[in-house]
Amino acid sequence: MITCKDVVKTFGKLEVLKGIDLDVAPGEVVVIIGPSGSGKSTFLRCMNHLEAADSGTITINGKLVETKESSLNKLRQDIGMVFQQFNLFPHMTVMENIIEAPVLLKKMTKDQAKKKGLELLKKVGLEEKANEYPNRLSGGQKQRVAIARALAMEPKIMLFDEPTSALDPELVGEVLTVMKQLAKEGMTMVVVTHEMGFAKEVADRVIFMDGGYIIEQGSPKMIFETPQHERTKEFLGHLK
Amino acid sequence: MSEFLSFATTYLPYLLQGALVTIEIAVIGIIFGSILGLLVGLGRISKNPLLSQISRFYIWVIRGTPLLLQLFVIHFAIPSVFSALTLPPFVSACIALSINAAAYIAEIARGAIQSIDKGQMEAARSLGLSSSQAMRRVIIPQAFRRMLPPLGNEFIALIKESSLVSTIALYDLLRTGQQIISSTYRYMEVFLLVGLIYLLLTTIMSFIVGKIERKVGAYE
Repeated sequence: MITCKDVVKTFGKLEVLKGIDLDVAPGEVVVIIGPSGSGKSTFLRCMNHLEAADSGTITINGKLVETKESSLNKLRQDIGMVFQQFNLFPHMTVMENIIEAPVLLKKMTKDQAKKKGLELLKKVGLEEKANEYPNRLSGGQKQRVAIARALAMEPKIMLFDEPTSALDPELVGEVLTVMKQLAKEGMTMVVVTHEMGFAKEVADRVIFMDGGYIIEQGSPKMIFETPQHERTKEFLGHLK
Repeated sequence: MSEFLSFATTYLPYLLQGALVTIEIAVIGIIFGSILGLLVGLGRISKNPLLSQISRFYIWVIRGTPLLLQLFVIHFAIPSVFSALTLPPFVSACIALSINAAAYIAEIARGAIQSIDKGQMEAARSLGLSSSQAMRRVIIPQAFRRMLPPLGNEFIALIKESSLVSTIALYDLLRTGQQIISSTYRYMEVFLLVGLIYLLLTTIMSFIVGKIERKVGAYE
């Protein structure tokens, strides 16, 4: 479903991704872990072209991720993205946040989109917040709305860029619960996170990145219980 | 005092007629200045180097020369070379005010747009919105809220600076006052009344801007 071949990305003189290969199967949940600066967020952002890779190719559903506006806009409709800082639109209510893209891009009527929006809000447990503005919500609620907003486009893939890193510890659980639910429903997901518990419980595959390379990958059991590479052991050791 | 009041009641209707002209050119200047200013501001941050250079040049020239000079160029200098471009004072005044205000509004718009967190653009684009859709639906509405306080300043300045049009024989508020003085020699009374009317207009303007600010800022 996602195929990345030899993806390289530099910022000025700094080479952040040094040739990354990755295949993600439909319905697979891939969790990327690694220290800050390992390139994991940049890699994720290359997948929907928020960052342009310098070389290498990324294909999603057989379609090449390229700079051309029109094909990119189309492609992005199939790729939901959830950000660390939520990035809800503050001037729109929760419901307006959710129906904005479907009404604009899927030519849905407002009523259809609202009906769908309410279902999604129910799914994330926030139907009573439909008419609130984002600044009235807690961080965990904001992130759940952001997930509902992404789902409103009925994406085939969801990308999560450290979705719980900006949250107070007691609010992390509610967001992870929604993500687990999504995984159970068979959504193809790529998740960059520091939540090792989530990785252990939900991931089909865990990828450890460091210094712009994929160092090691495998089932959660393999990575967390019998890591092969020195760097992986060191990184996981620090977590204890 | 009663003498002043009777003077005021005699001449106030004339002054209000002048004030109406001031209001007309100010409102036109605000509307067209805002439209042009937003376009120049967008041009200034455009990725297209030609657009951005043209916008920079426009802001540089218009902000760097006096409004009075711009008014004279439009009303006297250009028609002296191209007589077909001779314009009535009212039209010249509106053009000069719009062009001048646009340069300031462009910078206000640019600052406001650039102050919006870049995560907003990323979120909009990652939903599949084109960059112009994202601009229109997500960035500009938020930037507009931030533009309002400096925009209010600019509109108030525009009302006051519109008095410069009295120099091209347009009977705005100031010029009407001067005309009354030339037949009555009552400098103090007339300028006092003129000043009070300008103060009233600028007060109404800041009231309106404040009202809009509260309305569109409801989400904050």
